[in-house]
Amino acid sequence: MSISIRQLFGRKPKSSSIAKQRLKLVITQDRFDVDDRVVTRLHHELIEVLAKYFEFSMDSVQISLKPEGNSYVLVADFPYKKAHDVSMNR
Amino acid sequence: MGKVIVVTSGKGGVGKTTSTANLGTALALLGKTVVLVDADVGLRNLDIVLGLESRIVYTSMDVIDKQCELSKALVRDRRVDGLTLLAASQKNNKDDIQPAQMKAICDKLRSTHDFVLVDSPAGIERGFSNASAGADEAIVVTTPDVSAIRDADRIIGLLQHARIEPINLVLNRFSPELVGNGSMIDQEDVIDILNIDLLGIVPEDTGVITSTNRGIPLVYEEGSEGGQAYMRIARRITGQQIPIPAFDQKGLFTSIMNWFTRKG
Ligand SMILES: Nc1ncnc2c1ncn2[C@@H]1O[C@H](COP(=O)(O)OP(=O)(O)OP(=O)(O)O)[C@@H](O)[C@H]1O
Ligand SMILES: [Mg+2]
Repeated sequence: MSISIRQLFGRKPKSSSIAKQRLKLVITQDRFDVDDRVVTRLHHELIEVLAKYFEFSMDSVQISLKPEGNSYVLVADFPYKKAHDVSMNR
Repeated sequence: MGKVIVVTSGKGGVGKTTSTANLGTALALLGKTVVLVDADVGLRNLDIVLGLESRIVYTSMDVIDKQCELSKALVRDRRVDGLTLLAASQKNNKDDIQPAQMKAICDKLRSTHDFVLVDSPAGIERGFSNASAGADEAIVVTTPDVSAIRDADRIIGLLQHARIEPINLVLNRFSPELVGNGSMIDQEDVIDILNIDLLGIVPEDTGVITSTNRGIPLVYEEGSEGGQAYMRIARRITGQQIPIPAFDQKGLFTSIMNWFTRKG
């Protein structure tokens, strides 16, 4: 709850708020019985697909499952440099 | 008919035995009849924390093996009326006892005591199944660190699955200073994450070490912060509505968080 105020002032988040965020994520995964390998495989396969359409650096891709209420939101972050010209492949 | 309460945790070393000894003594000081059951077979400690180690003759294993009557195996704590201990066997291991056998012992004890507190071993294996087999309610102990909280959530899931309720939380080794400077997760966040009711907060207290050295539970020590915290928790267990003191960012007691008694 105090996270937003700190973020408002542009300060580094306290380790306790980082702990809370990480715990929420990991506990949701534990509760929903998510296999770590699912996330890892999804990560690899998404990169393969994304590479067909965009130019980006592989290690900038971040995929995470975020708990929201009683379910998950899948969040994929991939800062890309530019889109490939798809018409060339046709 | 008394209540059987299992004191448990996922992670080890978070304060289950300390809590069982102090809450048992506190409940007896409040005039209740209490029996403490050590379910940590093979790694018993409740006897030494209570200072009763030299007086153990029989254990729950002897009762199960019909070597002695249940009532004869109970060691009376001479410092307070109404407090006894059923020790665990140190020579056996957790697999030598069946959950049904533990349940039978708890059911018998329940008919002659107001409270049966079972000190569970850490973990999610057989020791936990044995300790929780006869329980009506549970107290989950955690410290405010990520591993202990995560493991507490696992245990809460298992307790819910076993239809043990209510499940209440004791937050142990809490440090207002660390919460104040943002390095320790606070009680509201812990409850928000685990989603169970908070029974009480026990501060980090070096007195725990000296009291364990002596075999005299902290609740006997006047002016001890930890002892007072355990006294308040015991009162809540008996149904009294005692507010849980909350700590603000500077680590001072300022606001009061209301604690509502459990249904029933
Ligand atoms: N509030 C506290 N302040 C300071 N030290 C504490 C506190 N509570 C417990 N301790 C210390 O933590 C250690 C572990 O406590 P305890 O044996 O009660 O934990 P446990 O959960 O029963 O462990 P196990 O899982 O091995 O059975 C002990 O050395 C004890 O003195
Ligand atoms: Mg213990």
